[in-house]
Amino acid sequence: MTVDSKVIGYMVSEERFSDKAVIIKEGSIGDWVYVILEGRVKIKKQTSKGLLTVDTLSEGNFIGEMAMLKQSNSKRSASAVADGPVVLGVLDSVRLLQEWEAQPVRIKKLISNLIQNLEETTKKAADMIVASQ
Amino acid sequence: MTKNKEKIPPVVKLNYSKGDLIIKAGDYGISIYEVISGKVGIFVESGGAETRVAILDPGMTLGEMAFLSGNTGTRSASARALEDCCLEVWHPAMLLNDYKQMPDVLKRIAGQALKLITRMNKMVVELSLKQEKLNEGQTHGGYDPQEDKRKFYRKSVSLECVFRPVNSPKDLKLPGRIRDISKGGLGMTVKTSGLLNYTPNFGDELFISTYLMPNQKMNMTAKILWLKKDKTNGTISLGTAFTHMEPDDRKRLGFFLMA
Repeated sequence: MTVDSKVIGYMVSEERFSDKAVIIKEGSIGDWVYVILEGRVKIKKQTSKGLLTVDTLSEGNFIGEMAMLKQSNSKRSASAVADGPVVLGVLDSVRLLQEWEAQPVRIKKLISNLIQNLEETTKKAADMIVASQ
Repeated sequence: MTKNKEKIPPVVKLNYSKGDLIIKAGDYGISIYEVISGKVGIFVESGGAETRVAILDPGMTLGEMAFLSGNTGTRSASARALEDCCLEVWHPAMLLNDYKQMPDVLKRIAGQALKLITRMNKMVVELSLKQEKLNEGQTHGGYDPQEDKRKFYRKSVSLECVFRPVNSPKDLKLPGRIRDISKGGLGMTVKTSGLLNYTPNFGDELFISTYLMPNQKMNMTAKILWLKKDKTNGTISLGTAFTHMEPDDRKRLGFFLMA
């Protein structure tokens, strides 16, 4: 997947991470949203048996968008860890948030709901993987 | 704009009882629902088993995945009332313009969430099937598909229909009136004087034919689940569950129930 030019338009800076560097830590507070420009990022959840990889994202994917779009709190729901060297685009979170807030109530509800379901399903998947080991 | 507005059905509120099926995976449907009160469970089906993937509280929505993916086809998951609940129904036409005007970057973010959640749902289903094999013999999740009541939202109607038992001659047409209809079945009343030699019985299968809208003929077969005779006015009330319906008819019914 390539990075859309419209997404590039939101970039305010570029950040580089080396292999295994923690980009986002689960449970921390933050509202940065990134787009992956190069490389891969592992999404990890904390479980009773340590950190577990639940998904791997690559070029063009966003990370950190969930905390921004959730209705309740902006705690990071999972960790993002570099899988090899990674280049990320940092998006203008003020502009993104403003545009998001300006959306009609029902549209916001739909998308927040989708994000919340994603968070819950991811947690459930992580718990089940641990239980099956 | 005003023309467009006329086509959009108004927002309606529907009540469901505990255990009722709100959405069935595989059915056609385009409405989006917001939970106003009560709790709704989301279930994914695979290999004949249902796995609960989410619980929705008031303020949450269901049916948003089909809308956001632009999928006007079949439902990817089932939804069931976990307790008595009230849902508000939104027609997607209400939201489509707003969605189109949303900045691309937000659309892309929503698109990614949609992809990830589909992947996670699949993973949860696979894991739970694996788990089930390990726990063979034990009941799972407190939900037994055998007890599926298949209760759906019922629409009150008054539609003329013709019917005949499935094993009767094809030209037989007995008159009846459909009183309520849902995705799962229909209730009708028949006049005993119009039944010729036929006496309806529990378990009989009927061919039923009706028009939901002018020029929209619909055929189905349904099994009699209960009947009640009213001798004073010479009518019989029948409750039936559908046993067969062509996909096109199912789609028509889905749209009819939504409007």
